[in-house]
Amino acid sequence: MRDRFKEIVQTFFIIVTLVDAAMLILGRMFRPEQQFGYEIFIYPLIYGAIGCVPSLLMRERRELTVRQTVIREAVHMMLLVVLILAFLFGGRPVRREDVPVAAGVAVSVVVIYGLVTLIGWMLDLRTANAMTEDLRRLQQRAAEEDEAV
Amino acid sequence: MEIRVEQIGDQETEYIEIGCHVRDARVNELVRKLQLWQGRVEAFREERQYQIAIADIYYIEAVDERTFLYLEKDCYESRKRLYELEAMLEERGFVRISKSVIVDLMKVTAIRPALNGRFLCRLRNGEDVIISRKYVPAVKAILRGEKGGGL
Repeated sequence: MRDRFKEIVQTFFIIVTLVDAAMLILGRMFRPEQQFGYEIFIYPLIYGAIGCVPSLLMRERRELTVRQTVIREAVHMMLLVVLILAFLFGGRPVRREDVPVAAGVAVSVVVIYGLVTLIGWMLDLRTANAMTEDLRRLQQRAAEEDEAV
Repeated sequence: MEIRVEQIGDQETEYIEIGCHVRDARVNELVRKLQLWQGRVEAFREERQYQIAIADIYYIEAVDERTFLYLEKDCYESRKRLYELEAMLEERGFVRISKSVIVDLMKVTAIRPALNGRFLCRLRNGEDVIISRKYVPAVKAILRGEKGGGL
């Protein structure tokens, strides 16, 4: 439970940072003249929280294979696109003039999702390397004990 | 039960003999324990019984209430439940890595990340087995020597 909480908090902060960067890039592309008040700072936090919703809802009881996990991640990402677009357009249908913004947001969500997965994988890679080192030491110790016997 | 120990000559093969009125569950358990002490477990394949050396087992998996022992290339079925084998083999370096798998740490060559906070153990025969997220902290502790694992 603690590890799951830690993982969700980690995902939240990664998403907040990346959404911040995406807002900067998309804003400069589509609405460079727009100015905001302090309330703009709440949006990355809201998107970060929305980004964590699928992780909270989609929880498997049985162990998934690598292939099933990839499919699950794809569904997770699509759900996220729908949630963020629904939030952005307040649930109303997307009008023709909204399409470029909606497409930009959808692409950003996909890019951010990919980056979150990549950053998570890189953190796991560091853990995996440390575990492999510990494993080698353990195997060496066991081999030395066997030789001693 | 009376226990007799007899010293025999260097030329003779050492043996353990059990004298019993009936070969019941108690005697079978004793036989199984002695086999395990010798480093073997009972397994089956195509209705034939085999004695598998523990050192040859790479990992053990439970699938649909059945337990399978995976060797470098072969696979045998055990009549024991996964938790029984886990308890039996803990001292021999076997570790639970998911709800349905225990693996011999001596057969693992590397650990790599998989998606979703899980890890893959690459075995000496090239197979991969998954360490599920729930078991990662326990496996880490065993590898660091902070917790059991029998090594």
